Amino acid sequence: MIDTAIDLRNVVAILLMASATYLTRTLGYVALRNRKLSPRAMAVLESVPGCVLISVIAPAFVSGRPADLIALALTVAAATCLPMLPTVIIGVTAAGLLRQVLN
Amino acid sequence: MSNVEATPLGEAGTTVQSEAWRGVVASFPVLLGVIPFALVLGAQAAQKGLSVAEVPLMTGLNFAGGSEFAAVKLWSSPPHLVLIATMTFLVNSRHLLMGAALSPYIKHLPKRRACVALFFMCDESWALGMADARRRGAAGIAACFSLPYYLAVCAGMYSTWVVFTALGAAIGPVIGDAEVYGFDLAFPAVFLVLLKGMWHGARAARPWLVSLVVAALTYLVVPGGWYVAAGAVSGIVAAFLWAGKGEQQ
Repeated sequence: MIDTAIDLRNVVAILLMASATYLTRTLGYVALRNRKLSPRAMAVLESVPGCVLISVIAPAFVSGRPADLIALALTVAAATCLPMLPTVIIGVTAAGLLRQVLN
Repeated sequence: MSNVEATPLGEAGTTVQSEAWRGVVASFPVLLGVIPFALVLGAQAAQKGLSVAEVPLMTGLNFAGGSEFAAVKLWSSPPHLVLIATMTFLVNSRHLLMGAALSPYIKHLPKRRACVALFFMCDESWALGMADARRRGAAGIAACFSLPYYLAVCAGMYSTWVVFTALGAAIGPVIGDAEVYGFDLAFPAVFLVLLKGMWHGARAARPWLVSLVVAALTYLVVPGGWYVAAGAVSGIVAAFLWAGKGEQQ
């Protein structure tokens, strides 16, 4: 049996989540849209994407499992010289195989 | 920016279709990594009592995976509204920075279009859109942010996320742990390739190192999702201080 019921309390929670998320998506743009930024502010803004991206994946760098760390090292090496798709395939395959072998 | 209207794509020989196709191609490897997580999220949500109709409602209206995993973990019957809304805002607070970084590229767009583009801004679509805009900017293209490219990436991400989270809710118990197969490495792989595209030498990348170290330490010491905010903010503070030094010299 597939449950397709809709509970009003769940819907309210989902709508609140959606509003909170949309607020996070638009506030940065609304705050900066009409500003003329100084060169220093632009330099800072330039570094934002890299800082956010590396922070999101930081836990992978301190994984306690040797298999994960070796797979990550291989992925870093692949990322420096290969395009997106081969890098993803190498990362996923290396992690899958090494976890079977080393765990 | 005055020639934006005259040449909306900013580059000779491109059409909306060709730009959108570029986005489809670019998003393909990313989707490969998204599908297992979508299935797992759907299955976890179903376990918590969300129905096959409610799961795509959540993933379609909210469309931010990290906050959905957090919310599902906290879900109860009835759900605690304040807790779930607050956690969602905190987990997604990185969007504030992402939207700020994106704003120079989209401020020429009509407000309504910008608001639509921002609804679909997730880690992956934002990162691909920004990386593409920088590459085109470096190649001398004036209107460097390609809206059709970005929206095509968004369309792929959005449909994949909504469809596969719903599928996960429907087939729930069949799905095990995505980590067993190594699919969780797809995210670091995607982000590392994007970081390499943003690489302008070791000197410019110093704030990234600050972010990496602070985020990793925070992750080890502080429970919850604080490590993203801690790492991002400390890297940006470092960039601010280094940029100030550069001005004095």
